[in-house]
Amino acid sequence: MSYKNAADASSVAVVYAGILRGFSRMRRLPSLMIPSILMPVFFVIAFSGSFASIVELDGYETDKAVNWMTAWAVMQGAAFSGMGAGGLAATDLENGFFDRLRVAPIRPMAIIGGLVGYCVCRALIPITAVLIVAFGVLHAEMPGGVLGFVMVYLSGIGMAAVMGLFVLGIVFTFRTLKSLAIGQIFMFSAMFLSVGQAPIQAIDGWLHSVAAINPVTNVIRMCRQGFLGEVTWSMTQPGLIALAGMVVGTSIWARIRYKKVDI
Amino acid sequence: MENPIEAVDLSRAFGEIQAVDSINLSVSHGEVFGFLGPNGAGKSTAVRMLTTLLKPTSGSACVAGFDVVKKAPSVRKRIGVALQDAAIDPLMTGNELLRLQCVLHGLPKRSGEKRCKELLERVGLTLAGDRRVGAYSGGMRRRLDLALSLVHEPEVLFLDEPTTGLDPTSRMALWEEVRSLNQELGTTVFLTTQYLEEADQLAERIAIIDNGKIVREGSPISLKSAVGAPTLRIDVSEDSLEAARIVMTRFGEERPARRNRIAIGLDRGTPGITDVMKALEEDGLEVHHVELDEPSLDDVFADATGRRLEGGQA
Repeated sequence: MSYKNAADASSVAVVYAGILRGFSRMRRLPSLMIPSILMPVFFVIAFSGSFASIVELDGYETDKAVNWMTAWAVMQGAAFSGMGAGGLAATDLENGFFDRLRVAPIRPMAIIGGLVGYCVCRALIPITAVLIVAFGVLHAEMPGGVLGFVMVYLSGIGMAAVMGLFVLGIVFTFRTLKSLAIGQIFMFSAMFLSVGQAPIQAIDGWLHSVAAINPVTNVIRMCRQGFLGEVTWSMTQPGLIALAGMVVGTSIWARIRYKKVDI
Repeated sequence: MENPIEAVDLSRAFGEIQAVDSINLSVSHGEVFGFLGPNGAGKSTAVRMLTTLLKPTSGSACVAGFDVVKKAPSVRKRIGVALQDAAIDPLMTGNELLRLQCVLHGLPKRSGEKRCKELLERVGLTLAGDRRVGAYSGGMRRRLDLALSLVHEPEVLFLDEPTTGLDPTSRMALWEEVRSLNQELGTTVFLTTQYLEEADQLAERIAIIDNGKIVREGSPISLKSAVGAPTLRIDVSEDSLEAARIVMTRFGEERPARRNRIAIGLDRGTPGITDVMKALEEDGLEVHHVELDEPSLDDVFADATGRRLEGGQA
């Protein structure tokens, strides 16, 4: 049997193989995943307890801090999972495995897709862990019902994809694991300069202006709406637009920076 | 039919360092071509350009009939590459890596499974297939790397220093595998190495690269015979070195040698050794050690660069 002249590799198969590889690595090296589960779980517990009375201020629209903080912790967990794509790519670049992928006759977007697909799937783990703790231990409420949960997962995987693509662009530029620190700075800036911790009415000065235009604000609102009341299109639409815009923008960024490692 | 590897004035600079400087290469179908040179000579840079991993600064190259820059995907489909540092994820098993490689090369699942089995058997890793690569020895990693590069039956196989760091037994096993691939499947092999013996044993033709330039090219036999006379080396004490050099250079041209040693190309061939020894004795020079070697690739390298490739100096 000859294996010459096989058909071109299917990009879907390559993306799927990339996702499986990421999960198989994670299973064998749990330290890759444990921090991104524990950190958001710790956030939701600590912030809900420490700021229990903060919801008495105007703008929180709930009487339980956990309802406010769960969405914030979900977004943090998802963003950290997104960083995993950069971590895997940087490790591959440093140990030479990325050359094996580059020298294969596949589309660069399939390589990027595999890495991002992995971090998107992996984001489901911390999101679910946060929800289990929030509802099982801290007695969070979801008046938005099933749609509210859908919004949580949608925003979470969207944010993981955005962060994954963004960090990949950085890693392709610098080609080292250390460059993840730069990605972290951008991630924290984007997350903290939003309505993650406090409603827009409670934010003053330039922070208010930045949070108002920060697209992450719309994604967090979309994620949080089910915890505060009914899920509405007026809250969902800006979040979806923000996510779509960020996914397109960071995809272009990652693809352009890929040229830095490709010829 | 076009040669599977053609390079014309291929160059690559990193800032002010000219890693590869206008090299020209032509490798025929089914040939094992050796690219010999010391560390940092430009071998790996040349391979990275030929395998589409690095863009040339100037010049051009075609591999398997396609330009490495303009038609990189077509080149990638037809080549197999085992890079200098076995590009292997240590957390994956040999089987997983082979299956991934099959996906990357578009092999359907069923034939991919069959291919993995065949290749593991071929490189003697059937029993280790389900073990993590991180637990493999250096030789096993190299053999797996070779298997990975063969998944799609490439027309041209690039092996970048495939035996560096291997023990002699593993090295010889890999040589045997390369030979059989070339003979059974007619695969064109481009092999870089810093080991003279490896180039001598495997390659039908050799290019010697030094400081980014090809300094000699030809079959090992023709290169060695071009160096000419056999090399006579003698060891003397340091204070007799100059006197011995004067005597010896009467019998042939001096060649590079290590410290406290003098080497000459013996003009009269092997029979001339008695005359040299007699002349040294007449001058009262005590000889500690004598060696007479037919020209080696190391002599070819020394002749071309003024330096020894294996632990010597000019």
